[in-house]
Amino acid sequence: MSLDAIIERHRGREGPLLPILHDVQATVGCIDTAAEAAIAAALNLSRAEVHGVVSFYHDFTATADPRPCLELCRAEACQARGVEAMVAAAEAAAGDRVRLKPVYCLGLCSVGPNARIGDTLHARLDEASLVALIGQA
Amino acid sequence: MNGYTPQADFGTPEVSADTVVTLTIDGRAVTVPAGSSVMRAAAECGGSIPKLCASDNLAAFGSCRLCLVEVEGMRGTPASCTTPAADGMVVHTQTPRLQKLRRGVMELYISDHPLDCLTCSANNDCELQDQAAAVGLRDVRYGYEGASHLGAEADTSNPYFDFDPSKCIVCSRCVRACDEVQGTFALTIDGRGFASQVSAGQAGDDFLSSECVSCGACVQACPTATLQEKAVKQIGLPERAVVTTCAYCGVGCTFRAEMRGQQLVRMVPWKDGKANRGHSCVKGRFAWGYAHHQDRITSPMIRDSVDQPWRIVGWDEALDYTASKLAAIKAQHGARALGGITSSRCTNEETFLVQKLVRAGFGSNNVDTCARVCHSPTGYGLKTTFGTSAGTQDFDSVMDADVIMVIGANPTDAHPVFASRMKRRLRKGAKLIVIDPRRIDLVHSPHVEAAHHLALQPGTNVAVLTALAHVIVSEGLADEAFIRERCDWDEYQDWARFVADARHSPEALEPVTRVPAGELRAAARLFATGGNGAIYYGLGVTEHSQGSSTVMAIANLAMATGNIGRRGVGVNPLRGQNNVQGACDMGSFPHELSGYRHISDAGVRALFEGDWGVTLDPEPGLRIPNMLDAALDGSFRALYIQGEDILQSDPNTHHVAAGLAAMELVIVHDLFLNETANYAHVFLPGSTFLEKNGTFTNAERRIQPVRKVMEPANGLEDWQVTQALANALGLDWNYTHPSEILDEIARLTPTFAGVSWERLELDGSLQWPVNADHPDGSPIMHEAGFVRGKGKFVVTDYVPTDEKTGPRFPLLLTTGRILSQYNVGAQTRRTANSIWHGEDVLEIHASDAENRGIGDGDWVRLTSRTGETTLRADVTDRVAPGVVYTTFHHPATQANVVTTEYSDWATNCPEYKVTAVQVSLSNGPSEWQEEYADLTARARRIAAEAAE
Amino acid sequence: MEIERLVYMANQIGRNLATEDNPAAATADHIRLFWDPRMKAAIAAHFVAGGEGLDAVVRDALTGS
Repeated sequence: MSLDAIIERHRGREGPLLPILHDVQATVGCIDTAAEAAIAAALNLSRAEVHGVVSFYHDFTATADPRPCLELCRAEACQARGVEAMVAAAEAAAGDRVRLKPVYCLGLCSVGPNARIGDTLHARLDEASLVALIGQA
Repeated sequence: MNGYTPQADFGTPEVSADTVVTLTIDGRAVTVPAGSSVMRAAAECGGSIPKLCASDNLAAFGSCRLCLVEVEGMRGTPASCTTPAADGMVVHTQTPRLQKLRRGVMELYISDHPLDCLTCSANNDCELQDQAAAVGLRDVRYGYEGASHLGAEADTSNPYFDFDPSKCIVCSRCVRACDEVQGTFALTIDGRGFASQVSAGQAGDDFLSSECVSCGACVQACPTATLQEKAVKQIGLPERAVVTTCAYCGVGCTFRAEMRGQQLVRMVPWKDGKANRGHSCVKGRFAWGYAHHQDRITSPMIRDSVDQPWRIVGWDEALDYTASKLAAIKAQHGARALGGITSSRCTNEETFLVQKLVRAGFGSNNVDTCARVCHSPTGYGLKTTFGTSAGTQDFDSVMDADVIMVIGANPTDAHPVFASRMKRRLRKGAKLIVIDPRRIDLVHSPHVEAAHHLALQPGTNVAVLTALAHVIVSEGLADEAFIRERCDWDEYQDWARFVADARHSPEALEPVTRVPAGELRAAARLFATGGNGAIYYGLGVTEHSQGSSTVMAIANLAMATGNIGRRGVGVNPLRGQNNVQGACDMGSFPHELSGYRHISDAGVRALFEGDWGVTLDPEPGLRIPNMLDAALDGSFRALYIQGEDILQSDPNTHHVAAGLAAMELVIVHDLFLNETANYAHVFLPGSTFLEKNGTFTNAERRIQPVRKVMEPANGLEDWQVTQALANALGLDWNYTHPSEILDEIARLTPTFAGVSWERLELDGSLQWPVNADHPDGSPIMHEAGFVRGKGKFVVTDYVPTDEKTGPRFPLLLTTGRILSQYNVGAQTRRTANSIWHGEDVLEIHASDAENRGIGDGDWVRLTSRTGETTLRADVTDRVAPGVVYTTFHHPATQANVVTTEYSDWATNCPEYKVTAVQVSLSNGPSEWQEEYADLTARARRIAAEAAE
Repeated sequence: MEIERLVYMANQIGRNLATEDNPAAATADHIRLFWDPRMKAAIAAHFVAGGEGLDAVVRDALTGS
């Protein structure tokens, strides 16, 4: 779907900015300065305002990264359940092929360490299952 | 006003409320309007709660955590800026607990801030420094080794101020000032958490490439040296401040001229200024460097003919030479061969003296002013309909408007400080109707969107306004009660019958106006039924062959909808120049004495004749275009021009040049050798607004003091030069201060009866009329009834202009201004403002460009039946197909070479806004541009140079 | 004064005052209030000399003045 079509789809709703940004990120893989400017013009916002929102959220990126992405929770509960000790192995498994993205809480604190690929959550990971997960990503 | 103290800051905005609350702060009882913050209440009783992110021109933000207080009965330590004061509240602002908390917060700020106070340009003018002292910070326990922002690079792209993020505490005051005060939203906080930083625009932008309009609000808001004027870095902090009035547009912002010795360090908008309420634009705030520009001429010069180089002479020789020439011409050709032009850039007192010189000294009424070419139709139209030649409201009134109609005005470029107020009101929900051939920024820009943009064909204003009236009358939306009470009912009925005629329906007029009838009907219904309707208009209304008719049509529309005589409504001409209103008030028009009283009125003449000891000519004099015509037939021979550049600003440059060249004596009184001076025989050096005392009157009829902050570079204020010329002509004038001229104006002008320099010192400003009926002035006019008695509906039939497109000239040119440049650019071109606009460009629609093989940025030739020039094309969809647009700021372009002699039927205000043109690709300057460049080089020679 | 220009100005005034109750009187008034004496004299002389180019309403205005 084109940028214009995405904007058109959400323009009439209350608070259209975040839904547009999500769709652009999902469709294009990033929100670059040209997209920010186009969205700003369409929504009567300044370029700066849109950029402020895009840069605030980790889920929005300025450049596309086509690699598969595994989000690994590094927050307190997962740390307590041993995630830090698994990071080196995970990084080695990921290499340049998989993007390993630290996140802070996936909401499954009692069953960590946790990770997510796309919309699929993975709990009770140990080093071996994490490395295997990265391998399948 | 001398001595340097920063402006007071009460922390949060003033609240107006019907009820008050009383609370106790540190043992003192204080009563404030309900809704005021605890911080503001504390400040109002003389206390000071430490703060960093709060400022009284911004909504409370509650982020810096320094303004914490203890409130009895409340848990914790709330931020005083976001806590509303309540009845019976007991607040403690200085306790050991608070001291410890504040010190801890400050310690964190300072742990990521350079410790270079001694060498910092904001040393002694830094809120962070002050607050660190106030909270008693002594050391920082965290050390300075950790991650910090101290290495962040400065952005020096803006010509007037720097952004040094290494000193930033991310209080967001700059971001909020840009949003709330200026309304541009150019700044943001980039990133989050520790990585948060203030950013102009997007990734890769700097301040210059961002949406920033360089208004200076962020610089003023910054509590550190992060955003600071370059001039402060170069010169040092000011040591005294003088409050004065800006000399650019008709908004009339008041500034503190902050000085170090005789050197101006910065202009800072004055928070108590009632026109600008502490805000500014890039021109008034920063573009004052022309005052010391090397091009300034500070000695009188004369020459016998314009072929000769200028000869620098003393004042006496220059004045004697001028006086003897004037006397000789008068002796040979009579008084009516002499005339003068007053300037809307000069003070009321100077303007009054020039017209007095012409009437009492020269003995003719051949005096006119540059309002001839901008707002003379406003004078004619509003006097006819309402009874007085002025706008009806103060600027504050816009905050009560529900529907704002902007006609032929571009406030964000031409009246930026008022535009910021208007945008603030629009963000609060007022609706906007824009009537303009161009898509001006107000039509669609951040947080502003016009409900209706009627993009009419240039020259069809009257048709559009009549169609709006047609809808209002024929759909029964007129305010009959108001009309019956306040207006002449018979005249209304005549008018209503006229507009209700089917030939004036939006549908019938659509082929002429090119405004879709449905859109026009919707706009009319909104204006008539949307609550308080306020009309703001500019030169897109007046500079037409039916300029006066359009003003009257606007007045009709306001009366028909009952939108006159209270806050939030009204008819508001946005005046182009700082003192257009004043120049008109002062009797600058050839047919009127001060206060708009006709010269043929024997009683009025007798008043002046008695005071001045002369006999006045009872016949109206020549207007500027008539003077030029009369020069060509030899009946007009000498012209004194103060502070105006008619060669560049007036239409049909060839005609102006021919008229000037035909005169025996042209006296130019100005800062620079302007374009008109190419045809002058006497050059009298002028003084800038920084070098003189006097008053300006802004678009809301507000008379404001102009104060001398430095000595005139030429040795004399402009009124002194005019007086010296009068004395040389044998007139016995001996004013010692402009206040004496103001007293004379008050004595002779009923609307100014209560105005005096002392009153202005006391009140800051006064809005005329100021007299027995209105001792404190008149923010809103026609409150109880119209000045003329009953409001007069005038039938305004649409008469198409004779300037028509055809096969040779198929496009319509309309002209205007841009934010960074001002009028003929004599001042702003001599500042760094040219970085934003270094040349005039021609806006042309993509389809018209494509038809002609023109690409964006190409050199094009712009031709009309009067002349041609060349400039670069800006291919855009801002203008409709068939319409092109340019500015007239640069003499290299001379846009007025192309404009014609057509003018308003009633006032001869030129029809700048409609010229039939052709545009084609060009490979070089036009013949006129080449000839004119040669002429200028020859005409500007000064004897010492010429000898070389 | 260039007479063509004055004729144009006078006709333009007449056209814009055409909806007044008495257009000729309104035109005459306007010229009386806003024109310089040499302009008035020139248009009057032109009228007396035949008034080429003058619209009827302006002729009426000048007849009365």
